[in-house]
Amino acid sequence: MSSGGFAGTVLHIDLTRREARKEPLDPSLAEKFIGGLGLTVKLAYDKIKPGTEPLSPENPIVLGAGPLVGTNLPSTSRVYAVSKLPTSNTIGWCGAGGFTFGCLIKNAGYDHVVIEGKADRPVYLRVMDDEVSICDAASLWGLGVEETSEVLWKEFGRPTGVLCIGQAGEHLVPFSLAFIDRISTLGRGGFGAVMGSKNLKAMVVNGSGGVRVADRKRYKTLAQSFLENIRNYPYLKEWQELGVLKSLPMISRDTYRRIKKRRAACVSCPIGCKDVVQIPNGKFKGFVTCTSSAFNLYTGVLYGFKDFDESIKCIATLDEYGLDMFEFFGVMGFAKALVDHGFVSPDRLETEIALDSLHSMETWARMITYREGLGRLLADGFTGMVKEFGDESRKVAPALVKGMHPYTGPGSAIPWDLFGTMELGQVLDPRGPHVGSGGSPTYFDKRPLEAFPRHLIRMGVPEEAIAPILPGLTASAQEQDLRVGRLLKYSHRWFSILGSLGICARAAINRFYNAALCAEFYEAVTGIETDLPELGKRADRGWTLLRMANIREGLDRKAETLPEKWLGASGFKNYVTGEPLSVEESEQMIRDYFDEQGWDMNTGIPTRQRLEELDLTECL
Amino acid sequence: MGKYLIQAHEANCTGCLRCELACSDFYTKAFNPSQSRIQVLMCGADCFISFTEACNQCGVCVDHCFYDALEKKEKEEEK
Repeated sequence: MSSGGFAGTVLHIDLTRREARKEPLDPSLAEKFIGGLGLTVKLAYDKIKPGTEPLSPENPIVLGAGPLVGTNLPSTSRVYAVSKLPTSNTIGWCGAGGFTFGCLIKNAGYDHVVIEGKADRPVYLRVMDDEVSICDAASLWGLGVEETSEVLWKEFGRPTGVLCIGQAGEHLVPFSLAFIDRISTLGRGGFGAVMGSKNLKAMVVNGSGGVRVADRKRYKTLAQSFLENIRNYPYLKEWQELGVLKSLPMISRDTYRRIKKRRAACVSCPIGCKDVVQIPNGKFKGFVTCTSSAFNLYTGVLYGFKDFDESIKCIATLDEYGLDMFEFFGVMGFAKALVDHGFVSPDRLETEIALDSLHSMETWARMITYREGLGRLLADGFTGMVKEFGDESRKVAPALVKGMHPYTGPGSAIPWDLFGTMELGQVLDPRGPHVGSGGSPTYFDKRPLEAFPRHLIRMGVPEEAIAPILPGLTASAQEQDLRVGRLLKYSHRWFSILGSLGICARAAINRFYNAALCAEFYEAVTGIETDLPELGKRADRGWTLLRMANIREGLDRKAETLPEKWLGASGFKNYVTGEPLSVEESEQMIRDYFDEQGWDMNTGIPTRQRLEELDLTECL
Repeated sequence: MGKYLIQAHEANCTGCLRCELACSDFYTKAFNPSQSRIQVLMCGADCFISFTEACNQCGVCVDHCFYDALEKKEKEEEK
């Protein structure tokens, strides 16, 4: 094994047999896939048998923390999970930071945890250095996310890392999440239900082994200079004060300051974009909750709430059940439309559906979580609802991608209508809609194309690839263009690099990193010789293997088209011209993406030549 | 003992543990929060910062804090 970064062990858990075993991490695989996300994909590819049902005991969960996790490089806290997800029925990644969970997995001595089978009763997994046990969770089953986390922290003390699900995951709601350290979410697409299907309520971890770096001298020099750059960043204090609200200023600063109690940070993060809030007055006076971003607490308002405090209370309730808030509000909007358009008789409603009412939304959240009354049907999400009410009902559904409600776009939470890489990525990432990933200049901002090359170089785009992404850059403004599909390939590569190393992809922090520096950090920490082209190739290898995992599952090219509601006058706009996006344009973007990846332009299947280039012999 | 007295401003702390990582790396050559001489506990809205008996107030933790949650005071300053 390399002399630094990696803990060197993969922990295997068989819940059916109640067995744990440890295997050395294969150094050649670690090198080939970088670690973290890439290696998690590889382990999942080898474990998941084609056609596995997402909620069956045969569907494994693979967790991974990259080689930089546990060091003091900024925002290296990321944990990735790969499994077959129930909402999209695809093999997808889920990623989260958190207070200590990722760091402590490494300190306990593990880079990855592979969980298979199904326990015969509710259990939680306890990992304390070498000591691994599968413990009875009868007293935890039925508790919410915060309740569960608090009980486990009381039992094992802080800073124990806690991964757990709420009641929605227990009841296999396909839009349930898992939470890391109560504050970070793991899994749009139903990762909570995957844990629930295994009777796995939680995992706690603590460790005392430490994380070492291979070349201390080089590491120190690189890290010191990097940290100085961050410290001298003129907007650092503003980012620290506002976090995600700095780039998404949807809540006024005064409104935010009214509820702000404390900023919270994942391990090693110098920005700290998570929030602990407290409602200072009114009917919820004194109510305290924490969230991955104060912006999340505003989601209720985006869907109709008039009162921000009620929105805060509602989001806290959804978090406690472990429900994906975007999917929940999308499903409720669809349910209301089904009533309004006569698909559902109002007589069937136990209580009215009012998207501006806290009482209504909390009631439906409970009914969905526990599958009561009509909640039983809504709990199956869009796919279940369309199946029940027929294809005609699709007309009143919001735009759907792979059976899920994208969080941005027409009819979605965030009123952003320029079509960039994050938007196309919702369609072309195997897992479907997810909260923004990767850094790209199109992220929630209309930037002049002249500013793009600097960003692209930072992301590691080779010089020869820039002109095809930005044709006519040196010509007049009318002739300039942006090939979103070609750019997305490199946005995915950048995300794959960050995720495989364990670095947060949020804009607040990834702005300080660049791909060349990432290669240097990787070399210094692991001792594995890696230049920028090699790092990019390894990142592409992991991403292409994720593609192949889904091709093996029969991924339908038709599922990778833009929903009709995203097109035309009321849909997305071309990033450069502002003109409505057309079908032809979107299809060209998808072909561009496949072509840039070295995948067949029409089918999206990686070509034999590309698989050979990437040495993905397991796919040949 | 080191030359400083370290004052904690817990209201500013985010729980990032950069201080623990720096301390443990400085004294053990590994990033290992369990071996840190400064201990930060975040409990919801509350934060508690303490120092173990082994802490000599060297101030390496302060140098790595980005949130003004730790401050070095010259010993003379305290007199």
